Amino acid sequence: MPAGGRELLNRLIALREGSIIVVTIIVAIYFSANTSTFFTGENFKTLLPYFAPLAILGAGEVFVMILGEIDLSIGAMYMFAPIVFYKFQTAGLGLLPSVILALLICMAVGAINGAFVAVVGVSSFVATLGMLFSFEGLSLILSHGTPVATPGAQIHQTTVMVHHIVNGHNIVLAEKVNHVGTFAKVFGAGTYSELIWAVVIVLILQVVLTFTRWGLYTVAIGSNKLGAAEAGVKVRLVTIRNFVLCSSTAGLVGLLEAIRSQTIQPDPSGPNELLLLAIAGAVIGGTLLAGGSGTIVGAFIGALFLGILDDGLILQGVNANYKLFYTGLAIIVAMTANVFVARARRGHSGSG
Amino acid sequence: MADGPVPEMKVVGPSSAPDDVLRVEHIAKRFGPVTALRDVNLHLKKGEVLGLLGDNGAGKSTLIKILCGFQKQDSGEMFLHGKPYAPKSVDDARAGGIETVYQDLALIDELSVYHNLFLRKERVHRPFPLLANRQMKREARVALDEIGINIPRIDVAVARLSGGQRQAIAVARTVNSDADIILLDEPLAAMGAKEGAMILDLVARLKEEGKVSIVMILHNYVHVLEACDRVSLIQDGAIALDKPTAETSVEELTEIVVNEYRRAREATHAEEAAASSAASAASAD
Repeated sequence: MPAGGRELLNRLIALREGSIIVVTIIVAIYFSANTSTFFTGENFKTLLPYFAPLAILGAGEVFVMILGEIDLSIGAMYMFAPIVFYKFQTAGLGLLPSVILALLICMAVGAINGAFVAVVGVSSFVATLGMLFSFEGLSLILSHGTPVATPGAQIHQTTVMVHHIVNGHNIVLAEKVNHVGTFAKVFGAGTYSELIWAVVIVLILQVVLTFTRWGLYTVAIGSNKLGAAEAGVKVRLVTIRNFVLCSSTAGLVGLLEAIRSQTIQPDPSGPNELLLLAIAGAVIGGTLLAGGSGTIVGAFIGALFLGILDDGLILQGVNANYKLFYTGLAIIVAMTANVFVARARRGHSGSG
Repeated sequence: MADGPVPEMKVVGPSSAPDDVLRVEHIAKRFGPVTALRDVNLHLKKGEVLGLLGDNGAGKSTLIKILCGFQKQDSGEMFLHGKPYAPKSVDDARAGGIETVYQDLALIDELSVYHNLFLRKERVHRPFPLLANRQMKREARVALDEIGINIPRIDVAVARLSGGQRQAIAVARTVNSDADIILLDEPLAAMGAKEGAMILDLVARLKEEGKVSIVMILHNYVHVLEACDRVSLIQDGAIALDKPTAETSVEELTEIVVNEYRRAREATHAEEAAASSAASAASAD
């Protein structure tokens, strides 16, 4: 390997996100080489709705995971938020107030999660598993299990007359044009809307994690809960705050996806898969399940990795029955690579 | 309590001086069925170094945790600079000028040396409260140099440091503050002879400056007589001795502790005797 390349590789490895960056690039190169359609703008657009929601879910989850806790209820918030949004909207509230109210309810659920964990002392796995089932059930009850069209997300088709000049003749042809409202464009329906949300949220939360007291206390609690308390860190307050953050990001993703797909689907199977993928993305991005260490940018790249994998396997024409199997194997391989790169990093940064 | 040749256990009542910075009266604390503190009276003068002795489980650490606002006593009162003192939190106690080095050090392994030094006292920018890392690094370097602690790199995680270095940082954290009362829970544990001497030197220097008062839990009687002005001995949740170190000796301190041990043993014997006589009475029936 040339010296410059080795230097770059060393720098990458020194980063906490380094290993997943390397693995993601390798996977991307593999699919680019093996399919003609992977490395195209069109394919990037189909990739977006898969990985952007995972990235936002992962960003919130990382804050809880660094504490050494886990939030499984994000699946329920993802499913619940659009349904309460729909209820508020059909009750006569405006679109934006309905979004805000739905998110506030998600935050309240997050506060309950946090209180169960930090005040009552229930294990976060059990507490949020209970909340996952309860709120998915509540979603089914409220929606009567029936899908509805997402308010504010309908596409209007209009026919416009377009002038063409063909062989010097001026002809007029009717063309159909799709219109999406500004609200829908901002909240998920615009092509890059979810990507912009994801990038902005990831950047803001990474700054919060690395450069604010909130982030410092989050790491402190995850690393040494008693020590942090003895130093005066308000463990309960920070824990509750992180669960609130996690629930609200999950509710937001639920809303974005409902608006993008134009339907509110009261079906827990999708959210349950998404919640596990978001946690997988965070873990392969370099966040420890045991707490004390984590990165939002890493979770973003972890989500990108899962997105590329899913998309690439489809483009390669992998049998649908094999896709989940390959995804599982790839997660294990990526995690194993992570462990080795992390070991190399410790050795690396230990010397310099 | 058993009677006999062993002297009766003494409980020192509250005493005070006009220049007390901290006074503790009749503090009691139970954890479920366990009585950690029965009736503790303590006072601390300005600039004084008070050594706290006592066996494992005597209640020393519990007393420190009540003083620093981490736990609340069940009964009893505390006075700080003559005013009633009832801290609701560690932050509360810190605002009152009390800093603590805990037995477990309360260091965060994943955080850097300077973030540990400034935990809960972070320097932040204005108007956006982002961490002022460069300023903290600079101030941490100055503070560590002043104290005379040699830490080669202050931006590494404290997990990388040796036991003695970690202890030194936990102590430095309290010295690097505006505290006028410092509580040290076994500051010499896990330290080599050289590092221990460094901490004792630091305490001596603080005493000379006369600005801070120190309560220090120690295990070694020689260290107590050497480094402290006064010694209080906790036994069975109460203060059994309170004397200036100049008026006591290793022998006297040892005797009190040995007597406590003998009392406890006789009490156990008496209990066993009572139990066996009850058993024999039952079998006779």
